[in-house]
Amino acid sequence: MRRALWLVATRALESFVVLFVLASLVFFALRIVPGDPALLILGDQASASELATLRAKLHFDEPLVRQYARFLSDLAHLDLGDSLRRPGVPALARVLVAVGPTAQLASLAVLFGAIFGVLAAVVASGPWLGDRRPWVERAILFVAAVPLLAFAPLATYVLAARYHVLPLPGDPDAGFLGLLFASGLLAIPLGAHVARIGHAALLQVARSPFLNVARAKGATEVAVWFRHALPASLGPIVTVIATQLGALLGGAVVLERLFERTGLGTLILEAYSTRDLPVLEGAVLAAGALFVFTQTVATAIHAGLDPRVRASQ
Amino acid sequence: MKKPQRLIPLLVIVVASALAAWRHPTPGRLSPELAWCMPQMEHPLGCGEAGMDLAAIVSHAELRAIALAIAVALTGFLFGTFIGAMSGLIRGMFERTVERVCDLLQAFPTFLLALAVLSAVRAPNRFHLGAVFALTAWAPFARLSLVQTRVLRDAAFIEAAGAIGARFGGIVVRHIVPNLLGVVAVQLGSTAAAIIVSEAALGFVGLGPHDGVSIGAVLDQGVAAMLRAPHVLLVGASAVFATSSSFLLAARSSPSE
Repeated sequence: MRRALWLVATRALESFVVLFVLASLVFFALRIVPGDPALLILGDQASASELATLRAKLHFDEPLVRQYARFLSDLAHLDLGDSLRRPGVPALARVLVAVGPTAQLASLAVLFGAIFGVLAAVVASGPWLGDRRPWVERAILFVAAVPLLAFAPLATYVLAARYHVLPLPGDPDAGFLGLLFASGLLAIPLGAHVARIGHAALLQVARSPFLNVARAKGATEVAVWFRHALPASLGPIVTVIATQLGALLGGAVVLERLFERTGLGTLILEAYSTRDLPVLEGAVLAAGALFVFTQTVATAIHAGLDPRVRASQ
Repeated sequence: MKKPQRLIPLLVIVVASALAAWRHPTPGRLSPELAWCMPQMEHPLGCGEAGMDLAAIVSHAELRAIALAIAVALTGFLFGTFIGAMSGLIRGMFERTVERVCDLLQAFPTFLLALAVLSAVRAPNRFHLGAVFALTAWAPFARLSLVQTRVLRDAAFIEAAGAIGARFGGIVVRHIVPNLLGVVAVQLGSTAAAIIVSEAALGFVGLGPHDGVSIGAVLDQGVAAMLRAPHVLLVGASAVFATSSSFLLAARSSPSE
């Protein structure tokens, strides 16, 4: 148990390092690239006095080191200043409003992806399909190879726009069904990856003696695979979900844009196109925080589930 | 090459795009009377917004995206192989750090990273996109190369090279890296496929190259005019799918599969 706690503690510390590096990258990307950031924000038509005011407001007129120190201190106080495009509204407030819908979308997608993926992996590994099992494997490989960007717009066209089977998730009164549709789309690539890795992991334990012991004691095949084989293969499954989280967040941005649904992605894109720097910095960092947080949780779950991880790390 | 036929789809896409691009040398020419027209003899893929010929746009976009993907994948390949081999030989803290950084970068939302970094330029061009993709593209190569170096570093010929006085750099470049290339190259196809999709995704959300010659921009048009002109959406989606999956297939043509 102490080793597991140690592992999770190192990961948590690492999360801070990751967020720090990300914050620094966001900060320096804008200030090191040649060109006047104030001009970039206000556009070519801005007058000299407007530019000077903005430079003073965002402290572009100070030495870079001072700016960086100020940025880090603001970050530590969780105060990134006001949104440039909506004066008076703190940037962080806008970010916090947007985090909720994205977190909902992403967590439902993880849930669905895990369920679909595990079911497909067990079906592809168990004895039920006999000679037809390779077809399931091929189907999994094929689905894993189809990018979300290609099938999500097509599925939306067919299911929502043309035949109205499902509501458009961006529609304000689409409600829960819309959320289910969006997270289902997002879950498909994740589910395919989970299925691929889960299938490989299940095949490794498929010939283990403990499964035969379970069979000898009269367990049904369903119980053998779900109660005995699956727990032994959960490690790789949790790991693959953790490594797909980044792609999932990227996919969430694409889906939010596709459906014009509110969320972190929409906020980041809006802040990008209007050059609302405090909001952009806050939103990117919030997405990064969401990512490292879930990664740490995945590590903790993995350590909690699998005694081999606790022992070997 | 065990299965060279797996390179065929990629070659077909490149040749077909090159031919179409040669027939339509200027993508993005507008002819408003043809706006959103369905596929026809003159315009085999139909037209998009303001009558842009989709065949012209898609072929130019394909060629540029494929060139970008190959360039970035090769850069990541060279840099990643070298970093991985070096960290494997140095061992200790450095090796563990490289390993962990690679793991993190592979899982990281690179798409968000790209958005954050691209905000520094007014209108991104393909060079900017390539630079952003290269920031993370080296990680899987370094990971593979590190794993393979761990196998190689205790081999007798490496010890022998050290014993006859070969320097560290010499061992990495002349003895380790040549033995890694075959194994690490397997990753080239999947990295290139991921870049094709990312480039299209950035174009789709409005961060693509500002000349609008991007599959993502076609997809964006298609989504906007979903009900009026569904063929635009279909063309964009199939282009992304065909290119990324032919890169994935090409990746499996190498001997170590």
